[in-house]
Order: sequence, then C-alpha cells, then structure tokens
Amino acid sequence: MEVAYQIPRASLQWILLSVFLVIAPQSIYMPIWITLIAFSCLLWRYLIFSGRLNYPSRLMRVVIVTFTLLVSIAQMRSLGVGLESASSLLTLGFVFKLVEMREKRDIYVVMSLSFVMCMVAFLYSQSLLISLYVAACIVVIIATLIALNRSSLQADARSTGRMALRMALQALPLTIVLFLVFPRIAPLWAVPVQATGGTTGVTDEMTPGDLASLGRSSELAFRVQFENGPPPLHQDLYWRGLVLENFDGSTWMRRRYRSAYGTAAERGNFQFNWENRVLVQGEPLQYNVILEPTQQPWVYGLHLADPLNRNLFQSRNFEIYNNGLISKRFSYDLRSYANNQTDLVLLDSARARNTEIPQRGNERSIEFARELRGSVNTDRDFVYAVLAHFRDNPFYYTLNPELLRDNRIDDFLFNTREGFCEHFASTFAFLMRAAGVPTRVVVGYHGAEYNPYEDYMMVYQNNAHAWNEVWLEGEGWVRFDPTGAVSPERIELGVEAALQDDLAFMEQSLFAAVSGRFSFFNTLRLRLDALEYEWNRRVVSYDEEVQVELFERLFGEITEQKVLLLLVGLASLVMVAVGLSVVNIGPRRKLDPVTQLYQTLASELSRIGLARKTGEGPLDYRDRVVAARPELAELMHDFTALYVAINYKPPVQDEQLARKQVKVLKQRLNNLRAALSPLRGSRAQS
Amino acid sequence: MASRIRENWQRQVYRWMRGRIKPANQVKLSQKIIYILPSGSGLVFITAIALVFIAAINYAVSLAFGLAFLMVSLFVLAIFYTWNNLNRLTLSGLPTQAVFCGEQIPFNVMLSRDPGRSHETLELQFHELPGQGQQSASHSHSSLVNLIDADRDQVRVFALARRRGYYPAPLLRISTTFPLGLARAWSVVDLNMHCLVYPKPIPFQMEEFTSGAGGNDDSTISREGNEDFYGIREYVPGDPLKQVAWKNLAKGQGMQVKEFVDYVDSRIWLDWDMFYGFSTEERLSRLCYCVLQLAKRSAPYGLKIPGIEIAPGSGMDHRDRLLRALALYGEAGVQR
Repeated sequence: MEVAYQIPRASLQWILLSVFLVIAPQSIYMPIWITLIAFSCLLWRYLIFSGRLNYPSRLMRVVIVTFTLLVSIAQMRSLGVGLESASSLLTLGFVFKLVEMREKRDIYVVMSLSFVMCMVAFLYSQSLLISLYVAACIVVIIATLIALNRSSLQADARSTGRMALRMALQALPLTIVLFLVFPRIAPLWAVPVQATGGTTGVTDEMTPGDLASLGRSSELAFRVQFENGPPPLHQDLYWRGLVLENFDGSTWMRRRYRSAYGTAAERGNFQFNWENRVLVQGEPLQYNVILEPTQQPWVYGLHLADPLNRNLFQSRNFEIYNNGLISKRFSYDLRSYANNQTDLVLLDSARARNTEIPQRGNERSIEFARELRGSVNTDRDFVYAVLAHFRDNPFYYTLNPELLRDNRIDDFLFNTREGFCEHFASTFAFLMRAAGVPTRVVVGYHGAEYNPYEDYMMVYQNNAHAWNEVWLEGEGWVRFDPTGAVSPERIELGVEAALQDDLAFMEQSLFAAVSGRFSFFNTLRLRLDALEYEWNRRVVSYDEEVQVELFERLFGEITEQKVLLLLVGLASLVMVAVGLSVVNIGPRRKLDPVTQLYQTLASELSRIGLARKTGEGPLDYRDRVVAARPELAELMHDFTALYVAINYKPPVQDEQLARKQVKVLKQRLNNLRAALSPLRGSRAQS
Repeated sequence: MASRIRENWQRQVYRWMRGRIKPANQVKLSQKIIYILPSGSGLVFITAIALVFIAAINYAVSLAFGLAFLMVSLFVLAIFYTWNNLNRLTLSGLPTQAVFCGEQIPFNVMLSRDPGRSHETLELQFHELPGQGQQSASHSHSSLVNLIDADRDQVRVFALARRRGYYPAPLLRISTTFPLGLARAWSVVDLNMHCLVYPKPIPFQMEEFTSGAGGNDDSTISREGNEDFYGIREYVPGDPLKQVAWKNLAKGQGMQVKEFVDYVDSRIWLDWDMFYGFSTEERLSRLCYCVLQLAKRSAPYGLKIPGIEIAPGSGMDHRDRLLRALALYGEAGVQR
C-alpha cells in the first residue's frame, strides 16, 4: 500500500509564506471581503498544519466551489469581465486550492499559481517598488520549491534560501537575453482594460474649482526627458492636454465627437491635412514622456506636438490621443515646434464654436467686454487690455477661492476676485468670446521639476493648469495665460512658489513641502524618483517599438531570420554558459609541476616554429630541436635528461630531493628561455 | 486490454534495457547514462508559463514578459541542476545477506561522491516489472539518500525475492527531482548484485517424517552440548566461565572446564525421497522448513538430495551450508 504523501513540514512554512507574499499586493486592489477570505484561508491552512483543524470535507468543498461560482457571476455582473473580476476569482481559486492541497501535484498547482499571481501584480503596477517586491516573492517561491524537494534534515531554511537566491541570480542572464531579443507579439485578442481606481489628472470638463483639487495633490503626472538640447525655460513649459470649446455658463467641455474615444472611426475623423493648417519654423524639440496611468485617452505635449508613436494621433485641435485608455504607465515620444502658427484661416464653423457664449446670464461681463473692445483697435490690444485688467485690479491667485454664485463670471470678475487658474482662464475666454474674439480654454500642466540625477523633468498633479488660446488675424491660435497676469510667480517659478503662503496647498503636500525645505530629503526624493524613472524608461517601456528600434540600430534592417538567429544564438550561448556554471563536468586535471615545466618549454619552442608533435617522445623532440637549432644543443640535452630522469624513472621517495629536482629543472628551463628570446627576436626581424 | 499492452510494452523496454546495460560492480554516472525529462509538476509549471506569457501578450505588460522569461530560465536551470545532481555520482553494489523466497531482499548499495560535490534527495528503486512472476504490479518503495556532509553513504534498496537460487538484482533506477522538482533525471544501472535466495519454507507436521528417519537407535554423542556432564578438560581461552571447574582450580589443578554433551537418539538425515510425490520446488521448500526447525534443536542433521550429500552436523554454518545447497539445487554451474 502506498503511504499517503506527507507535505514536508519545513516546506509548508515556505508555502504559507510565499502565498501570503503574493496575495499581499493584490489585497490593495481587491474588494475587502475577498482579502478577508484569502487571509482566513491562509490561517485555516496554518491551523491544519499545526493540527488544530482538519481538511475541508467534501460538503465544505462543494459549498466553496458553489460560492466561488456565485461570486464570480455576481462580480461579472457588477464589474464586467475584466481584470478586477478575473484577478479576484483567481485569488479565490488560489487560496481554496491552498486549503485543500494534499498531494505533491496540488502543491505544484499552488506554487505555479503563485507565479501567475506575481504576474497579476504587474498588471496593476510596474513600479520599481512592486518589481523589487515581486523579485523577492520569486526567490521565496523558488525556496519553497527547493524545500519541497529536500529530504535532508540537515538542510535548514537558511541554506534553502541561499540556494534559491543563487538560482534566481543564475536565471537572470537568460531572462535578460530573452527579454531583449524575444519578439513581442501583438495581443491575441482584445482585453477589456478596466479602470482600476478612478481617473486621475486633468479631465475633459472644467468647472472652476476642479483643478484646485488637483493643485493639492503632489502625485506625479508624468516625467519628461528632452533628447536634443536643454529643456525649455520654466515659463514655456505649457503641457497642452485638451482643448475645451463648449461653455454652458459654468462648465467648459471638450467638443464631443460622434463616436467614443479611441476607436478607428474617431481616428479616421481626425485625419486632416497637416501642411494646410500648420506653419512651423525652427528645429523641433524632441522628447520622451512617461505618463502615469490616467484612465483617459489623451496625453500631454508641449506647444504643437507631433506624435512619433504608432498608436498616437492628433485631433483637429492638435490634441494628442492614444488609441485606448492609458491604464498603465505609458511612454511616448513627441516632436514639438515652439514656433508654430496654426489655422491661419479659421473655418466658419470653428469661429462660430469659439465665439459662442450662453444666451443668458453674466450680462455685466458681456457689457464690460464689449465696452473694452470698443476702446481698443485690434483683438491683440483687447487681449492686453483684459490681461491688464486682471493685473491692475486686486485679483488673487489661491487654491481656496470663495464659492461663486448664479452668474459666475460676473461674480468672479466684480465680486470675489480670487481664484485658481481655471477661474482666470474661464473668465478670460468668456470676455473674449463676448467681444466676438474666437477663444478657447486649454487644460494641461504647466511647469516641471528638474531632476538632475537622470536629467529629466517631473510634472506633478499640482502643476495642473488652464490657459487660453486666442485666434488672431494673421497669427492663428496664440497662447495667452491670464493667470500669469495675476501671479507671475506661478508662471516663472512654479506653483509652489506662487502658493508658498497658501495654507491649503501646504497642508496637502506636507511631504513635498518638507522635502522642499530640507535638502537631504529633497535629494533623496529626487534620487528615488530618478531610479524609478530609469526603471520605467529602460525596462517597463521596453516594447515592440523600442525593440525594433534597438535591433535596427545594432543590426541594420530586421528580417525574420536575423531575429531568429539572434534569439537562438544568444539564448543558447547564455544557456551553455549558465549550464557550465551549474554542471560540473569534471575537475580539471591538475598537471604535476614537472609536466607543466615541460609544456612551458614546448610552447616556448613552438613560438620559434618547433612545436612538439602529438605523441612525440621527449628524446625525439630534443633531437629534432637540436637539429634545427644546434646552438640549443647543450641546454636541451641538460633539460631533457633531467626531465626524463624525473618522469620515467621510479619516483624518488625523498620529498626534499624531489623538490630539489624540480627546482633544478626550473633553473634549466629558465636558461633555455634566456637562450630562446634572442632567437625569437631575430626571427621576427628576418 | 490497455493494461496488457502497457505491460507488454514495459516488458519490451525492460528487456531492451537489460540488453543494453552492462553489469558492473561500480558505475559512475555520466552524461551517457543520465536521462532527463520534465516531471508532472514540470508540466503544471509549463502551463503556468503559458498563462503568464499569454497575459503578457494581451495586456502588453513588459514585466509580465520578463516574468515569463524568468520562469523559462528557471525551468532550464532546474534541468541543469537536476541533471547535475546525478552527474558523477558513483554507485557500487555490496554483498547481500541471503533471504527466503518471497521476502524482500535488502540489497546494499554504496553511493559515493566526488570531492567538493553534493547530492541531495536521490531516490533509489529497483526497476521491477508489474506482473512478473506471481506478484501483481507492486511498486517497491524507493529509498532516499543525501550526500551532503558525508562523502559516502550506504543505502538499502528492497526487491522482492521472486524465486530461489542465485537471484540477480533487477535493474536499479536512481532518480532525482532535486532542487525544483520540475524535471526528473534518472539513470538505470546494473550493479551486478546477487542475492542467495533460499526456498520458501513450507510448514508442515514434521514429526512423522523425521522421527526415526535415521534408521538405528544407537545413542550417539554430539560434541559440545549442555545437558549432561561428560568429563573435564583443560581450559581453552574462550570457554564460558560458568563451565570452569572452580573446585579443581582451588585444589591447584589448574584451570579446567567441565564438558557437557547432548545425547541424541539419532542422527537425522533429511532425504530427497522423504517427500515422494511432491514437485521439486515443494520438496525443496519442505526440506528448507525442516532445516530451519532442526537448526533450532541441537541434534545433528544431514542432507541427501540428488547429487549432494552433506554429512550430519549442527550449528549456524552447517545450517547455512544446507540452505545454500537447497537454494542452488538444480542451478547449473553454481555448485558451490
């Protein structure tokens, strides 16, 4: 009778540890009750292990399976078939399997699922921290597998851990080669990417007061690295996001296109003739942006940006959209033109759209705008007049403005006079439109923090900003920033400088504030972010495009054969190297000193063209050398005689004598060498 | 039906291996004779790799690709490690004690390693065929060995003694899944081990056969018993102290011992013909039983089977001689 398999006790502790570790990061994203179930299953297993509880009965198992099925159906109905429901279902299956595992095969199912759980962690986040965490998990999982296969009582946890670490490190080279070389395959089927958590960043609607909430967040929005030349000045860092053209009296909205975002239809809609609408001058600015997940389809760029990635495209208003929501960190390249003119000819439809204001309300402001327009000659002068009005009257830039009532524009312009950038942008656009000047609101970010350690810029959520674009005859769309008129520090130095004394801002970004004041923390923060940035740029954003680009730079045009050859060649090379480091073919035969000396002589002689033939005896060899180089005769005879004496006669028992013989042989070899060196020289000369 | 085909196939493979593997007292495992394949657990792991890889493709997650590749590398590494766990391990067969037919033979195998290497969780098992002989498919238990601290270790591997005689050990299979259990490396060797298998003793009412079987009733004395006092002789080192004649010693007669002897009514001859009408194996089995029973008594006994006649005697050596003769009865060329 077969004895029932017993899970080794030492390995069960490892199993519990690795399951705990791989579930832990998911518990942040999963519904709380799933987390609770997962951890109680772990506890259950621990109690089975310590003998206080039994394995689940058949009835219990049926109940559990039914429960899991019901839960998954319920989840799919509420959340849809997506990442979240799939990962919680996987987690449930995983922990239930853990409780009921008995056989060795079960354990392997659980441990293999642990790897899959690590993968799920990457679906949520690929930050450096998570990556390091998963790396640690993998070492623990390897240790678990080792512990499972160990039978020795001498093998303690420490040696198991050490061995796991060694294996993980030895697995790295091949992993890296495969990662670099293995061709990335296009998705097999479309997966519903689910918004995990809410959207972040700038939205496509702007009600004054919105960006102020972002203004309190010191979260990172994106990182930028300029590839040609130094970054532009702080005041020119307008990261254009969306253009908002529709205004209903309180909220600015993006012009909705007929279809949803990110579809092929929309893409077709966006195709237009770039040359007819754009005039650019000067060298473009080329840079790479790594955007944090936003769950929105649009991305940010400077000025007039031309996307270089395949999946990015431009809208009619020169916004840049991704083909799908940005649900994970997204790296893209842009080319921007600082000197640009767009839409020198404004279509009637666009003019109508950009001069439209609600029919009713804010009459005072409309009257004020029309009066002011009447007092100046050109639209440009009118812009300056409005900006001057903001500057010369007591307007305040603050994160905590008073709430606006009914006629919001009127209330702001004549009453409260305090606001964040969106108040100014909104009011400015309203006044412009009231006077018939086509104007629109642009939302995005302004400014950045420079990280000197990796030479890139960091843009935070509190850099969120709103400004305006005014269409001027002969100039096209021109950017104006009314906030700059009120708070020049905001534009020149950044939001922190502008809001230095604003209590609300400081409260919310305590860490940022503290770190800003103490240089040690600031350095640490910048250094950590630099690491994260490098990780993203070099590893996480390594996709098909980067791969193809790298290959093309290294090996010229890419063909299938070349890639295959490279893959197979490199992978097998590394495999052989790693294999040799693991597999011990046999100890290299250590030559005795006498033979070693003789071989040294043979290799010296081979350099003057007298190599020893295979199987040639020492005496024959000597004769041949002497025949070729009679001047060596005496030395050769001495050396060979001693060599033969030591090597072919019964070994000397006296150790001291043996050592002396070797010493003499070495002496004779040196004499020979000395005689050989001039010969070598003469040979080289002749 | 399927099982029969399978059995047949296994038998074919076994025969092929037997023909291919040369028996040797000592075998050093090397690349020529180590085989390796993914284990069942390895297949589960491969499924997991596929899962991670598909997810990586579909969600275009760079690090998930990395994870899948890491798993592939681990798998490759596991193959190297597992293979290396057998590589350059030396196995040698040691002599084995005789057993009776139907018992498990504890074959002794010595494993030794090269300096500086270590081997863990090696499973040794005889490559036995199901359905061979009368025994149905029974997996003989594998024996585990570790060579971590010690340079050599001796392990007992059990095989069923299926017939009497000079029984050759089945092919020995040494395998390991250490360290990750994802691949199984194995090697099959023949260490040229043999075990003397005595016939299986069959108990029966012995008295009717052995009483008076010797023929005459002359009381004979067998040397060295402990029932009756026989005489006194000089002390020889090694004699039990309780037999020393202390009185004589006290009298100054030197160290002397009292000799005791057993009186036996007759010398017993175990004869082939006692079991007239039985088959050869049954006769041997019954003779074997007799030998075992008689060995417990002190009476001398002898054996007469065709071609062999062993004069009556007693003691363990005598018993073994008889059993050996029974075991090897009819085996050509091994009349030792």
